[in-house]
Amino acid sequence: MHLLHVVGARPNLPKLAPVYRAAARRPALTQTVVHTGQHYDDALFASLLADLALPEPDINLGVGSASHAVQTARILERLEPIVTNQRPDWVVIYGDVNSTAAAAVVAAKLGIRSAHVEAGLRSGDRTMPEEINRIVADRLASLLLTPSRDADETLRAEGEPECEIAFVGNVMIDSLLEALPRARALARPRGHALVTLHRPSNVDDRSRLSSLMRALRDVAAERPVVFPVHPRTRDRLEQWGIESGAVQTVEPVGYLEMVALMDAAHAVITDSGGVQEETTALGVPCLTVRETTERPITVTAGTNRLVHDPLTLPALVRDAVRPRVLPVIEGWDGSAGERVVHALIAGDLP
Amino acid sequence: MKLLHVVGARPNFPKLAPVSRQARAVGVDQIVVHTGQHYDDAMSAAFFRDLGLRPPDINLDVGSATHAVQTARVMERFEPVLLQHRPDWTVVYGDVNSTLAATLVAAKLGFRVAHVEAGVRSGDRSMPEEINRIVTDRLADLLLTPSRSADKTLRAEGEPDEEIMFVGNVMVDALLYSVQRARTIGFRRRLGLSTAPVTVTLHRPANVDDPKRLTAIMAALREVAAKRPVVFPVHPRTRGQLELGRFDVGSVKLIDPVSYLEMLDLVEGSHAVITDSGGLQVESTALGVPCLTVRDTTEWPETIECGANRLVPDPAEIPGAIASMARLDDPPRPEGWDGMAAVRALDCLRTR
Repeated sequence: MHLLHVVGARPNLPKLAPVYRAAARRPALTQTVVHTGQHYDDALFASLLADLALPEPDINLGVGSASHAVQTARILERLEPIVTNQRPDWVVIYGDVNSTAAAAVVAAKLGIRSAHVEAGLRSGDRTMPEEINRIVADRLASLLLTPSRDADETLRAEGEPECEIAFVGNVMIDSLLEALPRARALARPRGHALVTLHRPSNVDDRSRLSSLMRALRDVAAERPVVFPVHPRTRDRLEQWGIESGAVQTVEPVGYLEMVALMDAAHAVITDSGGVQEETTALGVPCLTVRETTERPITVTAGTNRLVHDPLTLPALVRDAVRPRVLPVIEGWDGSAGERVVHALIAGDLP
Repeated sequence: MKLLHVVGARPNFPKLAPVSRQARAVGVDQIVVHTGQHYDDAMSAAFFRDLGLRPPDINLDVGSATHAVQTARVMERFEPVLLQHRPDWTVVYGDVNSTLAATLVAAKLGFRVAHVEAGVRSGDRSMPEEINRIVTDRLADLLLTPSRSADKTLRAEGEPDEEIMFVGNVMVDALLYSVQRARTIGFRRRLGLSTAPVTVTLHRPANVDDPKRLTAIMAALREVAAKRPVVFPVHPRTRGQLELGRFDVGSVKLIDPVSYLEMLDLVEGSHAVITDSGGLQVESTALGVPCLTVRDTTEWPETIECGANRLVPDPAEIPGAIASMARLDDPPRPEGWDGMAAVRALDCLRTR
């Protein structure tokens, strides 16, 4: 059986890693990794590969950054001949980036089955491009590998047949648990607030970004605030003359460093989907500056909270406490990658 | 209000025509973008005139290519057009690559999409059209359906009730608008037919790209042609296959592709139709002409339920089926086949 994995952006890699490793343990499986090159920040990408013990992708499509339509178009054009030549048993797609939707379309048109890892997640907000990518990928994929039972329910309500839905658990938690001992060995100082922001609704709106930064400056008056800043966001801050004050704006960090910073944090402020889950698994309080979340389980587990008004952040950070007992969530056990490969093998039987 | 219609291939135009005419009638601004997926000489000014359409305002000239490449070109070229015109609705039609590509672009940019002919399914995902339909319906904000069964399909797929609007079949609007004129052009007479012919159209890869399958179909058509005239307007793709494989066409009359009006005239005067096209199943049914569909599945179950259409997956059954078929006394009129579908579509677009 041959797997063709398609990844396109950095957040895909911690999802690919456990599946790739589980497949590599089976001699009967062969696999190819196609990196579409949506994110082309090579240094960071390479450090992520090293942290996750992943080899260099076999094929790089080098699509680079562009508008959603142009980026998706380039992936369609460049991926089609590869899938045509390799004719894999499965095209395996991850998460919710443009490559995820584009690869699902290419595979469906060529009559090749695709499997979506992290299927069934919904924010309910179609103004998020990720939401469009998710619903296209889930509509077309033949195997919907879900991270949680509520994702199964979502897919059923969308009319997906039972035989296509397989609950496997959360592959990102596999990567997190695998990396945690190495991250703890870095022995980072504890007690800071960690910040990640990248969504257009937070960083492309001047008044929103300034009120977020004002709140972060207030938090920084009480404890260290570490903010690895995406280059795009750094440009915005400079362009709009928004002060960072005592907030430590640092360069984007690698995977291990990020795990270490999350693990040692007093609290995390984020708009990322993955960080909401990782903090939940680590038992670190998370404040999510968004209207919606596609990971409601992180809220019900008690570690995550949606924050609509940035001005409430300083008090919420001050009051944040770690849960006494780590949340136990079904499928967040480090074996999701194994179950993905099981499902692919079972689904390949005639 | 401003509409931006996206069409890409020949079968889209009879769907666009009634919607565009109605928009003009009620004074709604509109722009027609033709992606140029299909482009042939038959799509001249006369083609648009036959349908009561003005030539498209914008042509993206994507040309033919693989599915992925064609979809990609439409996306790249359509995005700036959409950003420039910023319509209230992007209106997409049917199930071609342009339908999917335009919908994906609009959804990402937050523009509302209305899909004309939503909820139509063959249930066969090996058809590229089926992939285009299901992605388009999932992303579109207004699902204008041709039948109640399409409504049901969409509900079963979890689409919210408020997005689903039954408007009826716009292809039947176009047909009823043009059929009187088609009767005046004398196309059948020019073909010099002695009796009512059997009209054939075939274009699907499953039928014309498989030499064994095409041989079996041609054998059946030769047998039919021994009893009555068989007229086969040949898609350039199919002609290529026929000539390449040197198939024996017997007394089957191969003719060049015909215009919309010529086709209506030919079909209306036919004893029966043999096809693998979706549109022709609808058109022959609306004209009361029996149809044999050389496929396993159909996305137009209403044509079968009313007794006008029959699936014949095995070509060997065609001659027997033709002999036993008779024209229907009254053309069937399933719900929404009343020539008013576009009027209802515009009502939906204007009240949202």
